[in-house]
Amino acid sequence: MATDVKGIELAGKAKGTPTGPPVKRTPPAPEPSGVVSLVAYPMATAARQFVRSLWRPSTILYPYERLEDPTFRNEVKVASGAPIGVGQIWDNYRGVHALNIRTCISCNLCMFSCPDTCIEMVNTDLGGGKTKKCPEIDYGKCSFCGFCSDACPEGCLTMTASYTITTHTRSEMIYSPERMFAVYKSKLPMNPIRLARPENEDRILLDEDLCIGCNACARDCPTKCITMMDIPKPTAKPGEKLPRRIWKEPTVNDEDCVRCGTCISVCPKECLYWGGGK
Amino acid sequence: MTTTLYGVAQGLSQLLLGTLARVLPSALAGVDSPGAVEALAVIIVGVIILATSMVNAIVLIWWERKLLGRFMDRRGAMHVGFAGLLQNFADGLKLFRKQPLTPAEADRLGYYLAPAAYLATSLMILGFLPISTGFIPGVAPLSLLMALAIFSFAPFFIFVGAWSANNKYSLIGGMRTAAQLVAYEIPLLFAVVSVVLLTGSFDLNTIVMDQAKDGWFALPLVLGLIVFTVAMLAEVERIPFDLPEAEAELVEGWNTEYGGMLFAMTMLTDYLRGLVASYLIVLLFLGWWPLPAGPLTAPLVSFPLAGILWFQVKVYVVFAVFVWIRASLPRVRTDQLLQIGWKRMIPLSLLNVVWAAALVVWGWPHLRWPSV
Ligand code: SF4
Ligand code: SF4
Ligand code: SF4
Repeated sequence: MATDVKGIELAGKAKGTPTGPPVKRTPPAPEPSGVVSLVAYPMATAARQFVRSLWRPSTILYPYERLEDPTFRNEVKVASGAPIGVGQIWDNYRGVHALNIRTCISCNLCMFSCPDTCIEMVNTDLGGGKTKKCPEIDYGKCSFCGFCSDACPEGCLTMTASYTITTHTRSEMIYSPERMFAVYKSKLPMNPIRLARPENEDRILLDEDLCIGCNACARDCPTKCITMMDIPKPTAKPGEKLPRRIWKEPTVNDEDCVRCGTCISVCPKECLYWGGGK
Repeated sequence: MTTTLYGVAQGLSQLLLGTLARVLPSALAGVDSPGAVEALAVIIVGVIILATSMVNAIVLIWWERKLLGRFMDRRGAMHVGFAGLLQNFADGLKLFRKQPLTPAEADRLGYYLAPAAYLATSLMILGFLPISTGFIPGVAPLSLLMALAIFSFAPFFIFVGAWSANNKYSLIGGMRTAAQLVAYEIPLLFAVVSVVLLTGSFDLNTIVMDQAKDGWFALPLVLGLIVFTVAMLAEVERIPFDLPEAEAELVEGWNTEYGGMLFAMTMLTDYLRGLVASYLIVLLFLGWWPLPAGPLTAPLVSFPLAGILWFQVKVYVVFAVFVWIRASLPRVRTDQLLQIGWKRMIPLSLLNVVWAAALVVWGWPHLRWPSV
C-alpha cells in the first residue's frame, strides 16, 4: 500500500488498492432562474421590508431617543423577561465606574487587573487633610471589561449603566476618583457586586530564613492584617555569627487579607510568596 | 397663451438691459440691442435650468437615501435640516472644501475634462425636456432624438476619464461602460420607436400632448415601458447594472481616482442622469404634467405651479421604483447584462414595436378592426 513520508495512505495511488464505496455527493441545487425568482421575489421581499419599517424602523434615533425611554419600556426586555424601567438599562451593563472613595482601601488590585493599563492610583483628598491613593480611570483606553470591579475586594469599584462618556477633549476622558465618587452618589443602576472569593486561594507565605523583620509589609498592608510577632532571639554558639535583623516576623491574618500582593512587592528580601492554596 | 421659460427669460433680460441702457452713460447705450437681449436670455435660461436641476438632483439623493433607509430598516439621513433634507448640501459643502488631488501619472487634460464634459452633457439634455407648460426651454421638433443622442455621450467621457486616471480599477470600470453600451442601446431605441409610432412625432411636446388626449402610453405599451426602464437603468448605471462602478470589486469603479469636488461632480451627474431618466420615462410613458381632470383637481389645475409639481411627483415616484430595484436586486455580471440585453430585451422590444405598429394599423387611439 502506498504511503507518503509521514505514513499516510495515498488513496488510489498503488494498483489494486481497495478504494471503498464511491462517495455519495448531493447534486448542487439548481441555480435559481426566471423572472419570478430572480426579480419578482426579491422585490416583493424588499417591498415587505419597506412597508414594515415605514412606521418605525428598528433603529433608535440615539441622541433624541434612548433605550431607557418609556417608549421602549415594553419593547426591550432584559433576559429575565422583565421590561426595562425608566432611566434604567440592564443592571449588568458595563458603563462608567462608580467608586466609593470612603471604603477604598488603596489595595491597587484594580490597577493590577486592568488589561489596558488605564488605571492610575492617585492621591485623593478625603477632607480634613487626609489623603489616600484611589484609582483614576482613563476612558480613552478603558475597554469596559469589568476586571477592575471584579477584582475590587471591598466592592467599592463597580460599574454603572451610564454610557454617555463622549467628551470634546481627551483630558476630559480621564475620570478622577472624586468624579467617580460623584457617579457613585448619583445612584445610577449599578452592577451587582460580586465579593465571592475562590475557595482555598493561595495565601501569603513567609520564608523565615530570609526575613529580616523590617516591618515594611505590615506598614504597607492596606487591610492592616499583618502583625509583627516577636520571635525568640537564638543564643549564638561560640564562633557563630547571628544574622543582623530585628527579631520579629510577620503573621498574616488570612481572613482579612485581600490578596493584593502589596506585601510581596514591598518586601526588600523577597521572602514573602504565594502558596498553600489548591 | 402660456408663458414659457424662454419667454420669461427674454422679458427679464429685456428689463435688465433696458434699465442698464437708461442708467449708463451714452457710450454704452447700445447694450439693449435685440442681439444682446437674446444672448442674455439664453444665459438666463441656462442658469435657471442649471440651478433647478442641480437642486433637484441633490434632493433626489436625499429621496434615495431616505427610501433606501426604509428598505434596510433604518432611517437614512436624519440630522441636518428637516429629516436630513440638508444633509446632501452639507456633504457637497464638505467635498467643496477638499484639497483637489491629481494622481501623478494621470493624463491631466482627460482627467479634468471628463467629469466636466460628463456633467455638461447631462445638463444639456435638460435643455430639451419640457417639464411643464411654463417650463419649456424651447421648441425643437426633434427634441426626443436630441435628448437620447446627448444621453448616450456619457459612456465616452466616462471612458476618457477612466483611461486618463491611469488606475487599473478606473480603466476596468471605463471598459465596462463601453461594453455595457452595446447591451442596452438597441432595446432602448426600439422602445422609443414604439412611442414614436403612436404619435408620429419626435417632438416631446407632441408626445405629451397626445398622451393628455389619448391616455398614458404606459397602458398600451406596457412592454415598452418595462424595456425602456430596464435600459434606462443600464444607461444611467444604477444597480443592478452599475458594472462600471461596482464598489465591491472595483474600489469605486471608473471614478476611483476622483476626489473632492471632482468626485462631487461625478456623483451629482450620476443623479442628474437618474433624474433625466425618470423625466424621460414620465414624458414618454406616464403622461407628463397634465393633471387628471376631475372636480377634485380643478382648483389645483388653476394653481400656476401645479403642472411642475405634478410632474415632479411622478418623477419622484419613478425614481422610487429605481431605488426599490436597487434595494432588491444584486449586481449582474457583464455576460448576464449582455444576455439580458440581447436575449430578452431586444426580442421584447421588437415585439413591442410590432404591437405598436398593429395599434396604429387598428387606428390608434380609436381602435377598430381593420375592414378587410
Ligand atoms: S481594588 Fe478597590 S479597594 Fe483596591 S484600590 Fe481599587 S478601588 Fe480601592
Ligand atoms: S473596566 Fe476599564 S479600568 Fe477596569 S480593568 Fe477593564 S479596562 Fe481597566
Ligand atoms: S497580600 Fe499582603 S499586603 Fe495585601 S492584604 Fe494580604 S497581607 Fe496585606
